[in-house]
Amino acid sequence: MSAAPVIPAPSAVATPSRVSLRVPLRLAWMLARPTATGLSAVALPITAFALVTALLLTVVAGGLSFLRWQDETGQLYLALAAIATALLVVPLITLGGSAARLSARRRDERLATLRLLGAPASTVAVMTVAESMMLAAVGALVGILGHLLLMPLVQLIPFRGEPLGGSVWMGPATVALVATGVVVLAAVSAALGLRKIVISPLGVRTRQEAPKLHWLRAVVAVAVVSGVAMVMGTLGSAGDFAVVVVVLGVGFAGALGVLNLAGPWLIGVVARRQVRSAGTPERLLAARQVLDSPKDAWRQVSGVAMTSFVAVFGGTGAALMSAAGPLEGSERFLGDDVRTGVLITIVASFLMVACSVGVTQSSLLLDRRDLYVSLDRLGMPVGTVNAARSRAVMVPLLVVSVGSALAAVVVVLPLAGLALIFAPLSVAVILGCLAGGVGLVVLGLRATRPVLAHILRTPASAL
Amino acid sequence: MTTTPPDPLLPRDHATVPVVLSARGLTKTYDATHALADLSLDLRAGESVAVMGPSGGGKTTLLHCLAGIITPDAGQVVLHTGRGTTDIARLSDGERSALRRSTFGFVFQQGLLIPELTALENVAVALMLLGVDRAGAEHSAAQWLAALGLGGMEDRRTGQLSGGQAQRVAIARAQVTGAAVIFADEPTGALDSGTSAEVMDLLLRSTTGTGKTLVVVTHDDDVARRCARTVRLRDGRIVSDSLHAGAAA
Repeated sequence: MSAAPVIPAPSAVATPSRVSLRVPLRLAWMLARPTATGLSAVALPITAFALVTALLLTVVAGGLSFLRWQDETGQLYLALAAIATALLVVPLITLGGSAARLSARRRDERLATLRLLGAPASTVAVMTVAESMMLAAVGALVGILGHLLLMPLVQLIPFRGEPLGGSVWMGPATVALVATGVVVLAAVSAALGLRKIVISPLGVRTRQEAPKLHWLRAVVAVAVVSGVAMVMGTLGSAGDFAVVVVVLGVGFAGALGVLNLAGPWLIGVVARRQVRSAGTPERLLAARQVLDSPKDAWRQVSGVAMTSFVAVFGGTGAALMSAAGPLEGSERFLGDDVRTGVLITIVASFLMVACSVGVTQSSLLLDRRDLYVSLDRLGMPVGTVNAARSRAVMVPLLVVSVGSALAAVVVVLPLAGLALIFAPLSVAVILGCLAGGVGLVVLGLRATRPVLAHILRTPASAL
Repeated sequence: MTTTPPDPLLPRDHATVPVVLSARGLTKTYDATHALADLSLDLRAGESVAVMGPSGGGKTTLLHCLAGIITPDAGQVVLHTGRGTTDIARLSDGERSALRRSTFGFVFQQGLLIPELTALENVAVALMLLGVDRAGAEHSAAQWLAALGLGGMEDRRTGQLSGGQAQRVAIARAQVTGAAVIFADEPTGALDSGTSAEVMDLLLRSTTGTGKTLVVVTHDDDVARRCARTVRLRDGRIVSDSLHAGAAA
């Protein structure tokens, strides 16, 4: 019988009193490698960043192409393009932030463990930001390629009676600036998402209490909507179109703020009620999942809130233009072009919503693969799991889309009333947009079913 | 109920206890690795069986085949109930899933409770999946939690429970449906020795103490000694199968 091997006692290792930047960067690289995390762990954030970059570049390119018109109508087009860009930049930032948070959340466990092992807060911070920036940079490069592939189609879009053509091509400096912006956005989002790990590593590891959102959010929201509605009420007396555009822009920005403030709170209230009344496992699971983080539930569907807003604003605007009769001279294409702009904005918003839901849901599935495998072993049908996931998205989605559409109607009440009377088509546009948004989210959800099926087919790596 | 020939490795009187689950000629291969190689085993009502062996010896594969989580490449797993016998390996995915809901219970190493649900809801969901209404499910769940020393903790979430408390919730979830066989995969693997002993006490009392069968996959000799029988595997085959005289159940 051979003697048991003797394991030598470890000798003390000298530790430097101050950790240089090289250590966290090396750790970040080790943890970010696909071999360390699984390909999907890096593919999802990269895909999200690529989509953000491609869409952002395309929107900016379209807006900048209007700079070539120097006449008075050209200024109006620029103002409308600025509003459309503002409409899209917010959901773009939301999607970019989701992607960054997604990549940060994937590291939560490992980073919290490093903190528990004694890694200084600065090491964890540098690692998180560096890893996010690495993924965002790769995504931005892929996004630039996507943008270049999209451009031939964008060139065909007509404005002022002719296709945009070569005017939509941006110089490399602008492209680089936008791509850098995406990487910076990733860094900022990662740094913000990191605070909770740095402050309390145990809080992240143990998922203690569900957060509660204060009802003051709703009070502030009602106050802002009322104020904006009053301002909008005076629009009828404003003769200058530019003033109307500015007031509409301010009203829109205020309402967006309100949506972001009140949305999570409202979702939390609805989820709390549903937890109490849930009679089936899928309803209980869905309601509890939403209540666990109303802010996350809001983020997943907030793009549709923006789309609803766009639909109400765009539908109202296009309807009023149609009602005003045909324009002449350089403004003769204005009605058609506003409609085109609205359609592009809505399509882009829908795309972002679909991306957001698909990416977030896939990431949730991967993050919780052990749990889903264990539920499968307990005998929970896959249909129940999918129904719970679907409800956790669809209920907030319906709350948000209907709620934001109503908020938008309140904000542009006088104009919406006129539009309804003179052009009922705008109502159809609004309903169509809502239905389209909901349908797209359903598709985004369905697209993640194979991810769950794959996890359940290959459970060996999970349990 | 069918009978099986007495196992020559076990005392003769052991063979008189009714068989609940019997595996015959189980073979399972992953790539070129034989996880199970023509393995046969009977599990009897009310006994506690520790399955031990080196990593990769086939312990977890055996547990998964017995529980209908996976199907063997060859062989059969027969469940004996008062209503007759069922060859689990021949059932569809959906039928095996239904069987796991109603007849088997599971306790995992990490507990794997649903983090958003309270302790009470985690247990009640197992009954709700069988169609029990929520009020009835929560009533039964509360009784199980109280019986396992968790009275007053019904509204706590997983993050607010200690490792031992979370495992007790998992034990309640595994048994609230009246499962005939409980499978536990390293149920004390993440616990300290004191808590481990408490959890094993509860697991044994609540299963074999009430006539249910307990199958525990473990690396821990202390846990194995608490069981009435230890089956050791190596390279997908049973190398020893012994009863313990002084076991807890």
